[in-house]
Order: sequence, then structure tokens, then C-alpha cells
Amino acid sequence: MKLAVLYNRTNIIITVTLLIIGAVIYFFAINYIARSQLDNDLSEEVGEVVDYVSTNHKLPKQVDFDEDQTVFFKTDRKDIQPRFFDTIYVNPKEKENEPGRAIESIIRVNNSYYRVIITVSRESTEYLLQFVGIITLGLMASLLLILFLANRYFLNGLWKPFYALLHQIKGFNISEENNFKLTNERVDEFVELSTAIDSMSARVRNDYQHLKHLTDDASHEMLTPLAVITSKLDTLIQHERLPSEISEQIEDIYAATSKLSRLNQTLLLLTKIENNQVVGNESIDLNALLSDKIKQFHELILAKHITVTEKVGAKKIFGSKYLMDILLNNLISNAIWHNKDYGKLMVMLDDEEMVFQNTGILVALNQETIFERFKKGSKSEGTGLGLTLVENICKFYGWKISYDFKDELHSFKVVF
Amino acid sequence: MSSESLQFGRLYLILKKPLKLLIIEDEQGLRENITTYFNEDGNICENCSDLTSAMDKLAMYEYDCILLDIGLPDGEGFAILEYLKAKMKSESVIIISARNSLDDKIRGLNIGADDYLTKPFHLAELKARVVAVFRRKTGSNKGLLVFNEISIDLQGRAVAVNDVAIVLTRKEYEMLLYFIANKGKVISKTALAEHLWGDEIDMHSHFDFIYTHIKNLRRKLLDANSRDYITSVYGIGYKFKAE
Repeated sequence: MKLAVLYNRTNIIITVTLLIIGAVIYFFAINYIARSQLDNDLSEEVGEVVDYVSTNHKLPKQVDFDEDQTVFFKTDRKDIQPRFFDTIYVNPKEKENEPGRAIESIIRVNNSYYRVIITVSRESTEYLLQFVGIITLGLMASLLLILFLANRYFLNGLWKPFYALLHQIKGFNISEENNFKLTNERVDEFVELSTAIDSMSARVRNDYQHLKHLTDDASHEMLTPLAVITSKLDTLIQHERLPSEISEQIEDIYAATSKLSRLNQTLLLLTKIENNQVVGNESIDLNALLSDKIKQFHELILAKHITVTEKVGAKKIFGSKYLMDILLNNLISNAIWHNKDYGKLMVMLDDEEMVFQNTGILVALNQETIFERFKKGSKSEGTGLGLTLVENICKFYGWKISYDFKDELHSFKVVF
Repeated sequence: MSSESLQFGRLYLILKKPLKLLIIEDEQGLRENITTYFNEDGNICENCSDLTSAMDKLAMYEYDCILLDIGLPDGEGFAILEYLKAKMKSESVIIISARNSLDDKIRGLNIGADDYLTKPFHLAELKARVVAVFRRKTGSNKGLLVFNEISIDLQGRAVAVNDVAIVLTRKEYEMLLYFIANKGKVISKTALAEHLWGDEIDMHSHFDFIYTHIKNLRRKLLDANSRDYITSVYGIGYKFKAE
């Protein structure tokens, strides 16, 4: 539920309730005031009658009381409390029955007692009440209308900066420069919110940059000790007559060192791609590059007696030559190393896609994890980053890479 | 000289004078090993660990080649390149850096470096690069490289043993040059593989394959009646005899 809807609903419920309660109180108050006014008037009328009687020693005539209707009844009772009551008033002019208010009292005229009942019309009071009721209803209706309109036009406009901010937050990318500043915003809360988010994102990005630099620096710092190890090994093997056990150990150290340095280089490259720090954007004839690469692997292909089938059509791309080299190196060398002797390698390139198919083990690789970091076949001597690198390079250029196993062929497809 | 040697007649021999090198590298272990590796070959190697002492040395002496680390304790190695440029000095410079960034590479090569080698590297690779840079600098890359009975026309990429031309594949040719640059040294299989195929291609555990290439090169040389220079060092690599 939207805040505005919730707010409005509460708002309307409270307003309407208050208005109804107010109207009821108002009704009773006005009713009470009007009635006491009427009762007051009636008491005065009785007073006037009493005055008249004491002066004239007879009952007044009916006409003397203009709008009021006064009736006298002879009675035996000498004393009753004056009492007020609602009754029907017959309007003599309009010959109509109207609600009326009456007073009953006893007056003494020359030792005889009369019950007097004076009735007045309550119509004007009823009018007043109706009027108040209409005004209240009108007020309620216009309030609801105003609330509806305010919600529709004003409140929605009021929340616009919020939604703008929300949109910006949704598009937040940690590796990019983001700006959460609202321009020309007058609402303090939103200004505060945007400032808070802005500083938070700046902080997050800063931490992220720090972390990235740490990875970067750490990888770089590792290269120098690796260089020392390599040079020590290169010096060590110059030693005359090394025992064969030691030679074997040294060979393993060489292998581990070169693997470590390749790992490091690959990690650095991955960071670089993720950070969009790739240098170079040139027009590349992918078909020519691909054919060149296959030539580079010529000796390896021969050594494993692999039959290569090339179906390479013209394809021009824009990108970094360096990254393309790495992409093709990885895809081709995978297709060779994981191939069997006397196996097949099919390379296909056209305007839409590039496919590498090779024979190898007869089981499909796990499609879900194949591109993940450090996932590799049990027999693989690689770093476990080759295909991750391939995937990231493809992603960088907005291409799609997929793996498939069909008819004993492992195939990697890049869709441009 | 026999008639076959006439094809090399226009070429001149590479002078066998020792190289004078300056190594600017702050990592002591690396500095020492490079110095030892080059000195054993009769070259003269000096080293220093920071920019200031490097500038002092450069102001006083002439070198053939400078091995320059970029990340030095008192500044970036690029300052050396700028200094050399300003003083119009002719030293060749090979940058040895842990930074494998294309920017650095381009920047270094733009302000006068001759080559750029990323750490970690094999000493044999460094030696081969130094020799190549030196040949380019002296113009002897257009000349004739003679090693005993083997002569190599560097420009024509042709090899002759006892003045009889032999046909080598590209990899065999590169291997021979690499061996001669590092003659008398044991070269690990890893170093050789990385030199021939680059370090992007993982050659580990496929070294038998290199062996085939070495065997072929050795047979071709032997067939042309050269002495047997290439020996295998058990488990580790190969050695090209210096004599």
C-alpha cells in the first residue's frame, strides 16, 4: 500500500469521524440553546400574563399574544410547578401544524385558579438545525473532495523527489560514479535523505575502492617476490651436478611458481575488466585474428594429431586486441588441452556467433559451474580462471557465452 | 671460406665485447641474481637500488644497457628515462616491472624504453631480451651472429653450420637464438616454453612436447656436423654448451 493511500485513508477516517461527532455536539448544543431561549421567552410570557392579571384582575384576551397561542382552563389545583413540554403548534395563518414548545402554569385570578398553557412555534429552531446540518454535510463533502484532489495532484507531486531518488538508488552501481543530489528540492526531509544517501554511497564506493586497491596492490606486491623466487631458481639450476631428487623438487617449484604468477596475472586482469580499465578500442578483424591464433597453436595441434576444421566468415569487432588475444587463447587452448589424441576441433565464425567444438571426455561438463572461479576438471592443470576470464571478457563486450555438450562434442558458443 | 658463406658476405660479425649493464632494482635478491647471471658471462654489471644513486652513476659512467624497475623507493623509474632523454644519452633501457599495465608499457616505450618485461621473469628471458636490445642498438641485428661453426643471419633468419645452410622451423630458430644468448646456462623447461609460446598459454605438464622440438633442433645441427651443444639436464631443462 502506498504511503499516500494509507495516509489519506487515516486522514479521511479521522476527519469524517470528527465532523460527525462535531455535528452531533453542535446539534445538541444548538437544540439546547434554542430550547432554553424558547423556555425563557415562555416564562416571560407567563410573567406578562401574571402582570396583566394583577393589574386588570381578569384574564387577557387571546389576541394580545400575537404569535403565541394561550389557553386558560379553570382548575381546582392551587399550585403546580411550571413545566415545559414539546407539543404541536397550529399556525393560524398557514393553517398548518408545526412543532411547538409550550409552558404550563397556574395563575390566580380573583380567588379562582386557572391553568395556563402558552405554545410557541419551534419552526425557526428547526430551520436553524437543518441549516447547521446542511453546512456540516457540505463541509464534509468539500473536505473529502479537497483531500482527494490534494492526494491526486499535490501529494503525488510532493513525493516526486522521493521516487526520483528511489529510481537513482535502484540504478546504483558500485563501480560507477553516482549522484544522488536532488536539484531545486525545497522539502527538507528529501534534501536530508538525498544527502544521506549520497554520502552513504560515497562511503560505500570509497570502501569498495579501497578493497579493490588492496586486491590490486596485493597482487602487484606478490609479483616481486615471485620474481625473486624465479630468479633464485634460475640461479640454483646453474649448479653443477644437482642430485636428481633435488631436480625433481625444483621442477615442481617452477611449476607452482609459474602457476602462481599466472593466477596473479589473471586476477589482476579480471579486476581490470571489472573496473572498466581496459585500454584500447580498435577495429579488429576477428576472422584474421582467429586464423592467426590457430596457426600459433599449430605445433600443439600437430602434437595431439587433432584435425581442425575452420569455417570462418568475415567479422569485424571493436575492442581491445589484448583482450581478444586472451579470449581466443583460452578458448583454443582449452579445446586443445582437453581434446583427445586424434580428436577433432571445429571452429565456426560468422556475423552472429563464434563456436568452438571439440572432442574430449564423453561426459558433459557442469553447465552451471563451468564459468565459475576456480571450478575446473580434476585433470586440468590450469588456474581455474580461464573460463571465468572468457566469460568476463564476453560480458564486457555484451556478448553471451554458453556451453553445450552434444554428439560427443563440447561446444562453446559466443553470441555477439 | 667456402662459396656458401658468400651469401653472408655483406654482413659483419657481431663484436664480442662484454656488455656494460646497470641494474636499478630495489629488491636485493633479484638484483643480486641478475648481477650474478650476467657477470658469469663476462659482462660488467653494476647495480643500485634507488633513483638517486642511479642518477649519480648515470652522470659518471656510460652503459650499454639499463635494467630499470619502475617502482623504486624514492620515485618512479620513468624519471631515469626522462633524464636519459634530456641528457641525450644512448643507453638502452629495459623496464622490469611488477606492473603489467598497458598504460605503463606504452608510457615507458614512448619515453625511450627499448623493451618491457613483466615480473616475474626468467633470467634466461631477460638475458635474451638484453642481447636482442643490444643487437638492435648496435645495428648488429642486421648482421651475422657467429657461434663457433654456427652462423646465423639475423635479418634473413637463416642458419648455416660450417657454411652449409640448414633449414629450421620458426620455433627451432627462436630456440637456437635463445640458447645462444644463454649459452653455458641451464635453461628451465618453463622458461623455454614461456619464451616460445608466451606466458598466456599454459604449457605446464605438456613439456614432452617441447622435448620434440629440442630433439629436432639437435638432430638438424648434428646432421650438419656441428658439435653436440644441447644437453638435457635431468628433470629441469636444457643447456647449450658455451664452448
